[in-house]
This record gives sequence, structure tokens and C-alpha cells, in this order.
Amino acid sequence: MKIVAVIPAYNKGKALTESAIADAAGFVDAVVMIDDGSTDDTSSIPSTDRVIVLRHILNRGQGAALQTGADFALHHLGADVIVHFDADGQMRGDEILMMTKPIVDGDADVVLGSRFLGAPAKDMPMIRKVLVRLGTLFTVALSGIRVTDTHNGFRALSRHAASSMRITIDRMAHASEILDLVKTKRLRYVERPVTISYSAETLQKGQSTIKALMTIKDILKKKVVG
Amino acid sequence: MMFQLFLIAFSAYAIARSLKQYSRKQVSKYWVVVWSVLWVIVIGVALMPQATDRIAAFAGVGRGADLLVYLAVTFLLYAVLRLMVRQQKMSEEITALVRTIAVDHPKHHDRS
Repeated sequence: MKIVAVIPAYNKGKALTESAIADAAGFVDAVVMIDDGSTDDTSSIPSTDRVIVLRHILNRGQGAALQTGADFALHHLGADVIVHFDADGQMRGDEILMMTKPIVDGDADVVLGSRFLGAPAKDMPMIRKVLVRLGTLFTVALSGIRVTDTHNGFRALSRHAASSMRITIDRMAHASEILDLVKTKRLRYVERPVTISYSAETLQKGQSTIKALMTIKDILKKKVVG
Repeated sequence: MMFQLFLIAFSAYAIARSLKQYSRKQVSKYWVVVWSVLWVIVIGVALMPQATDRIAAFAGVGRGADLLVYLAVTFLLYAVLRLMVRQQKMSEEITALVRTIAVDHPKHHDRS
């Protein structure tokens, strides 16, 4: 089975992004990195044998970048499994095999990473912890799908799942949309515990608490406007 | 009186401006007609404010001024929703365009 990691990056910095790419590349057949209109040195990362770099000429958001990566992985690389992986160094490449196993074994279409199933997340700020919990309650209430961590970016999708779902929310609220799609498309899903590391650097480059609140606005907008 | 004069002057300016835009082919005939009718109504209300009281009484609203506020709020809310829908559609089109360019032109392999 061909496993492709899709890594969106927006102004994460070349060193941090290359480190995340190298980490993931050791456990997949190919990496598709989407430079989402970065204005820093992230945009200078070159393609290599197993890393294909796509560039959004305008910043469109993580949801849009993930869909771009999925389109390329499905139609140009013939991916059987797509792994969503962050560029900010918070995730661990050696957990990719554990995440893809339920799909490879034919037991699930979607595998969702969770920070709340295994060991407690290291150095996760209290405010973040509270927001993630509230976000989970909010999303569970709206989508009706029961998961423990709704805004974890570490996911694995089978070819069938990735082909049948289309992410239309460009920015961070795409995580809720993915759960909606899992439910409406009746995809089989499981959760797996993943390790997310929080350091000063990754917190600075990662999603801010303010952006987390803006996500709620995007979810509501999508529900109202469509 | 001052406010009525201001309303009439502003409405006349708005109509003149939309006619100018139409002559430059910047707006459609449909748009210039709708826009002009709207401002002609504003001029009518400015000249005969008591007329709105009769319409308000017919509509079951206390005063003409109240009716105008209700109508304005309803119209503005509808306009905001339409703008949001249009903006959303435009945003989706931009994303589709950016995506097509990205997928069709992956970064060249740097073999150096």
C-alpha cells in the first residue's frame, strides 16, 4: 500500500518544516508538502526524490492546503493511504505506522489521532487544554460524532475516505468539517493515541489561542452560509 | 428641513453617479434602474414624509419613521447575507484557482 504524508506549512520556517518532513519521510512512501503562500524561508524548500513541494501562490489556509495535498496524492501519486501531518514538529513520524495500521488491515477508513487517549500531552498549556476540551464538546454537539479530540491534525485516511470527502472550509475549522464528512459519508473511524509535543518554538509557530476562537466563527459561518 | 435637503441632495448625487457609471459601462442597466428607483423613493419620502404615515397605518405599523427603520434593517440584513454568500463563493473560486496552479506546477526537483 502506498502511504503518502500531506504536510501543509505556512510560515513555519525552513528548518522546522524540513525537520518535520524528514521525520515523516522515514515512515511513508512519499511526502507532499504544501507551502501555503509562505512569505518566510519556508517557500525555499525544494522538491526531492520523495518530497514533492506544491506552492499555493496565495495563503488559503490549512484546510485548503490539505485538500490540495490530497488531490495531488490521489491523482498524481496513486496514494492508498493519506496521512495528515503538521509541519511544526509537534507530531512524531514513528507514530505514522500505528496510525495507518487500521486502514492497512481494512478495519477503518479514517484514523483520528487523540491527545487524550494515551499519556497526557507534554507541556500542553492549561488554556490550550481547556480550549481543546471546549472545542471537542462544541464539535461533538454540532456534528454528533463522538471523539475525544476533535482538533487533532494527525489523521490517516484511506483512498476511499480521501476520495469521498472534500474539504471546503479553507481555514482551521476544516477539522470539524472532516468529522462532519466522516459521519455523513458513513466512514468507519477509530481513534488512536498520539503524542503531541509542545515547546516554546512550536507554540509560537503553531495555532494561537485567538485563532482557536476564530475557528468557532468559521464553523458557525459554514453552518449558516453553507 | 435641513435633513430633507441633505437627503434630496445625496439621492440626486447617488442617481447621477450611477448614471455616470452606466455610461462608462461599469454597471448594468438592471443595476442603474434598481439603484435609481431606490433613491427616487428616498427623494419622495423626503418631500412627503407624511405619506409614509399613511403607508405605515396601512401596514399596521405605528409611524412612518418606524416602518422605514424596519424596512431598512430587513433590507440591510438581507444584503449582508447575500454579500456573505457571494464572498464565500468568491473565496472558494480563488482557492480552486490557487489549488489548480499548485497541483499542475509542482516545484521542480532540485537535483543539485
